[in-house]
Amino acid sequence: MNDTGAPVLELADLSKTYGRRGKGVAAVQGVSLSVGAGEVYGFLGPNGAGKSTTIRMLIGLITPTSGEARLFGEDLRANPHVLRRVGSLVDGGNFYPFLSGRRNLEVLARTQGHGAERIDALLDQVGLAGSGRRKVKGYSTGMRQRLGVAAALLGDPDLVILDEPVNGLDVAGIQEMRDLIRSLATDHGKTVFLSSHLLHEVQQVCDRVAIISKGEIVRESTIEDLLRQDDGLRIEAGPSDVAEAALASRWAVERDGDALIVRATRAEAPEVVRRLVGAGADLFRLAPEQRNLEEVFLSITQEGTPDA
Amino acid sequence: MLNALSAEALKMRTHKATWFLVWLYPILFTILFLIAITVGLFGGDPPEQSTLADWIDETAMIWNVPGNSVGRYLMAAFVAVVFAGEYGWNTWKLIVPHRARAALIASKYVLVLILFTVTFILTGLISIIGTWADDTLTGDTIPAGITAAGLLRAHWIGYVAALGPILVTMAYASLAAILTRSTIAALVIAIVVTTIEQIVFNLGPVLSINFPAVTHFLYNLLPGYHLGNLDSWLSEGSAYRGEFPSGRVVALPWTTSLGVVAAWIAALVTATFAAFKRQDIN
Repeated sequence: MNDTGAPVLELADLSKTYGRRGKGVAAVQGVSLSVGAGEVYGFLGPNGAGKSTTIRMLIGLITPTSGEARLFGEDLRANPHVLRRVGSLVDGGNFYPFLSGRRNLEVLARTQGHGAERIDALLDQVGLAGSGRRKVKGYSTGMRQRLGVAAALLGDPDLVILDEPVNGLDVAGIQEMRDLIRSLATDHGKTVFLSSHLLHEVQQVCDRVAIISKGEIVRESTIEDLLRQDDGLRIEAGPSDVAEAALASRWAVERDGDALIVRATRAEAPEVVRRLVGAGADLFRLAPEQRNLEEVFLSITQEGTPDA
Repeated sequence: MLNALSAEALKMRTHKATWFLVWLYPILFTILFLIAITVGLFGGDPPEQSTLADWIDETAMIWNVPGNSVGRYLMAAFVAVVFAGEYGWNTWKLIVPHRARAALIASKYVLVLILFTVTFILTGLISIIGTWADDTLTGDTIPAGITAAGLLRAHWIGYVAALGPILVTMAYASLAAILTRSTIAALVIAIVVTTIEQIVFNLGPVLSINFPAVTHFLYNLLPGYHLGNLDSWLSEGSAYRGEFPSGRVVALPWTTSLGVVAAWIAALVTATFAAFKRQDIN
């Protein structure tokens, strides 16, 4: 929450349809989420899920077909000036190729109505202090990405929106970016909204995540809850057909080789054992099954797809 | 708005298009005068005697460029780069979140107008100095009676007459740039529209032999005749007479032509602002 008590970022039933209504293509449908002050919020989804369209609506590049985007409690359409409190990196950093990195930041600072005093410190912060006077057309993808982060932080924004911020970065760069994103929230009190397909990164830096698939939010929770929700029990019992039949009437059961993955909670483990014993199955092993975020993400986003 | 203008100036001042399409004129005129002086010094041509009016007109000839088709094509090219370049560089995403869209477009119009004004004024100054230097060094006689006020008046009239073609060309190219999102497409459209406008104005009487109604309608509607008419009122003090084989004569008051040109500019510029305001930037 910000100082007025409203969420820093709030999307209410946000939708975008391209083309004529009726025959149009729905890129985003009824997306609702809320991000509080100081949070690092992850926005996950496969390619074409609607992440970029949502982010573009958030920063005023695309007009929503319906719904509302509120920043710091203000309706973005009614008060677009609120975007002055937002820094953004979209599409990996697009800059004027004929200008140097430093000059690009000067152009942006003037556009924002700020001075150029923060530029050197920001270039240093993102590791471009030695390359600031080179033309951007000679930058690597990773350098553009770093410059994009510097551009996003130029106006000392309260909300930082980062679209795939680690794209193009090497391992060391990813580590630095991870530290930077975390420090924005913990050391500088900024709110960070980031989209990424690198689930490991999201798992390490985000407090909460929303998963978007086919234009709709299919899950929103803390990382911990998301992983816990999909916890299960790995069981090795025989005969496996008997064991599966005994458990399938109550829980979702999947086969994983010789083992069964039962979507039951830890508290339900005794009941699982009782049912197996009651059915005459022999229990050889029972252990918690904890999926990583990638598996959870894949299972959620592939639900309902024909080839899933 | 001033911040957006300052950012736009910082962005474009070193761009190649600014050198080739804006600073081209003072650079070209400087080179031409240097060549003329060199030829005059070593060519052995007999000294020439200009009248006062010719001498002043010669220094103000740069103001004919904006009304000339080729000059308008070059201006359209620069406008296309300034407006559509942001799509090619994919940089609207960088600046649109930080400034009202109307201010970003307005700053582009103001910058382009300032740059064209500065380059033509600079070229006018170079023309005055170059003509004086050429005559002085090569032995040509400088006519008596040249005053600063006389020069200023000639250049001021030239500037006012050039404003119409400059603004109309800016309006064509900027709207085409925002609608097509492409520098090349914007340039092609601006060239085609300017050419049609000039053909209707210059060849209207000929075209009217086969298509009298359409030609007459377009002659009165498009900015071509009205820009020519305003120029005629400013330079000759009378209306431009468009005489058709049918016997019809178009000779309108300057206020009518000013109104038509202003309406065209206002409509095209308003459409540019409206189109950009509604545009999704993907």
